[in-house]
Amino acid sequence: MDMLLQFVANGLVSGSFYALSALGLTLIFGLMRVVNFAHGEFYMLGGVLGWFVTTYLGLNFFVGLVVVVVAMAAFGWLVDRFLIERVRDQGEEPSILLTIGLSIFLTNSALLVVGTAPLNIAGAVPNAPVFLGPVVLTQMRLFAVAACAVLILAAYLLIRHTRLGRAMRATFQDPMAARLAGIKTAYVYASTFALGTVLAASSGMLLGSIYSVQVSGGGLISLKAFVVVILGGMGSFAGAIVGGLILGLAEALWGGYVSSGTVDVIGFLIVILTLIFKPYGLFSTQVERA
Amino acid sequence: MRPLALTRIMLAATALLSLSAHAQDSLPIGLIQPLTGSVAYNGTAAAHGAELAVKQRNANGGVLGKPVEMITEDGQCSPADSVNAAEKLIQRDEVVALVGAFCSSATSAVMPVAQKYKIPFLTGVSSEASLTEAGNPYFFRSAETDALLGSAFSKLIVDNLGLEKVAYIGVNDDWGRGSVKAFEQELSGHGVETVMTEYFNHGSSDFYTLLTKLRNSGADGVFVAAETQDGSTLVKQLKQFGIDMDVFGVGSWATSDFIDLTGDAAEGIYAAVPYVSNLPGERNERFVKDYTEAYGQAPGKYGAAGYNALNIMMAAIERAGSSDAEAIVDGLKQTDYEAPNGRYRFTAKGQGYGFQAALVQIQNGKTDVVATTAIAAPDAGN
Repeated sequence: MDMLLQFVANGLVSGSFYALSALGLTLIFGLMRVVNFAHGEFYMLGGVLGWFVTTYLGLNFFVGLVVVVVAMAAFGWLVDRFLIERVRDQGEEPSILLTIGLSIFLTNSALLVVGTAPLNIAGAVPNAPVFLGPVVLTQMRLFAVAACAVLILAAYLLIRHTRLGRAMRATFQDPMAARLAGIKTAYVYASTFALGTVLAASSGMLLGSIYSVQVSGGGLISLKAFVVVILGGMGSFAGAIVGGLILGLAEALWGGYVSSGTVDVIGFLIVILTLIFKPYGLFSTQVERA
Repeated sequence: MRPLALTRIMLAATALLSLSAHAQDSLPIGLIQPLTGSVAYNGTAAAHGAELAVKQRNANGGVLGKPVEMITEDGQCSPADSVNAAEKLIQRDEVVALVGAFCSSATSAVMPVAQKYKIPFLTGVSSEASLTEAGNPYFFRSAETDALLGSAFSKLIVDNLGLEKVAYIGVNDDWGRGSVKAFEQELSGHGVETVMTEYFNHGSSDFYTLLTKLRNSGADGVFVAAETQDGSTLVKQLKQFGIDMDVFGVGSWATSDFIDLTGDAAEGIYAAVPYVSNLPGERNERFVKDYTEAYGQAPGKYGAAGYNALNIMMAAIERAGSSDAEAIVDGLKQTDYEAPNGRYRFTAKGQGYGFQAALVQIQNGKTDVVATTAIAAPDAGN
């Protein structure tokens, strides 16, 4: 029983991390229809930048996070304006090729600049253990889960309750009508892409402070985020959150009771089952978009 | 007209340069290491060690009166990329010998290529036992196998740590599984009970599930087969999780990087390593000094492995007296190389032996050598 509680706690923690990183992808892939294979590299860049600003510029974690958010928003904006813009409305294949190329470029540039060693980010709170009955967590993990929740909520409020958010929803429902109504859709696309990038990067920095930042580790992050987006439903906020938690829990329980060497199977099993039984995902926004 | 003429001149010049570079002035040796991907960090260390060996040799007149030109290719630890790298090195760069390819799976893919083109091939890292059993006359290994390391260390570990129940955790690849199997077998032979065996994937970041199982397994010691990146994350989380048991492992654990990354959590853990930078001996001191000067940090297991492999290969070519493959193979067989970590020789199957390995404990951010032992030649068939 104690073991089960611990597995569930582990699963919920890693699930909330999956949710945050998948949220960025659900905006870019689910709403903008850009199959973004560079998502894991945006996550990695967030970690590397976070390491740079905390270690070299000596900023504290929160100030560092703000700097990373601003820098990555600008980066995401530029990527959209100068790269994604050129393949918009040309189907999915050009954007797949473009983002695969971008991911290779980013990984290798980062390898060139910071090298292959894993990087440590000094966390916002100490990494001391916290005992909740039989369950062990650390302060840093609890903090990261809280930070994930805050970021998710902030993104939600931004999309639901601001002018920019309304413009986004309008643009993705019907770009032509949105343009006729006077919305500058080019800026909406760029803002959405920037928001997705920021979500990926901030989860990269948060998790970098718990684990470590690995420059070559972007591929697995991308794959897991795709799993969550497909499970949750493309473009769905609730889907990304529930999907992330389900993936985290499933992996923890499989790892705990079956074998931890095969946990990465779970994600792909979930994708196959989703595509067979619920091809639009758990919380499909298909109807809204039609 | 003009650009065309210019292009022609440049082409001619390039052709001349490359011709002269290979035919006369230098002796090309190919190195295949993973410079990108999940073991890039360790592959780069091996390449650094190799580079240092070549630089030192060239400063002392090179091999056969020519400077050695080492051409490095990225094999990414993948069989396909390593084979491509080998083909390129052999066909385009016309190397006389190959060193590499780090991961056992990659090395075993390159072995038939080396045999096909009759190019001597030495690995300083790949530890999968079956490689030297394949009967490839061009293949040599200047590294310990999992089994040799297991048998050299199991007694030391039982004597020094006094363990009764051990849990095994390994990275989910041929090396990790091989090491876990070898140590489990050897330790069971000394009456140690196995209470858990688990594997994790390269690049895993969250080990809490695994650690939950470990905490409930009742082990008094845990064996871990992992490289720097995964190993440091695992050990950090182990300490956070409040697990207090003896930790010992194989992989590049006793390096300054591992200690930097792991911080206080590294205190007290044991590592069974074929090389550590504070091994006693004047030869090692010199190597550590040169390596530190060149790369700003003390060498670890892979830096030493790359250094030794290149030195062994260059000495064999010198002994061969020519770049003829058969002569180099004979030269390799006669190897008796004084390394920073002991004396390397080869069995008839090309398996290296005779060098030292150490059991170290990390204390106050430094590696303390607890005991050393020589890697013996494998008994079977030799």
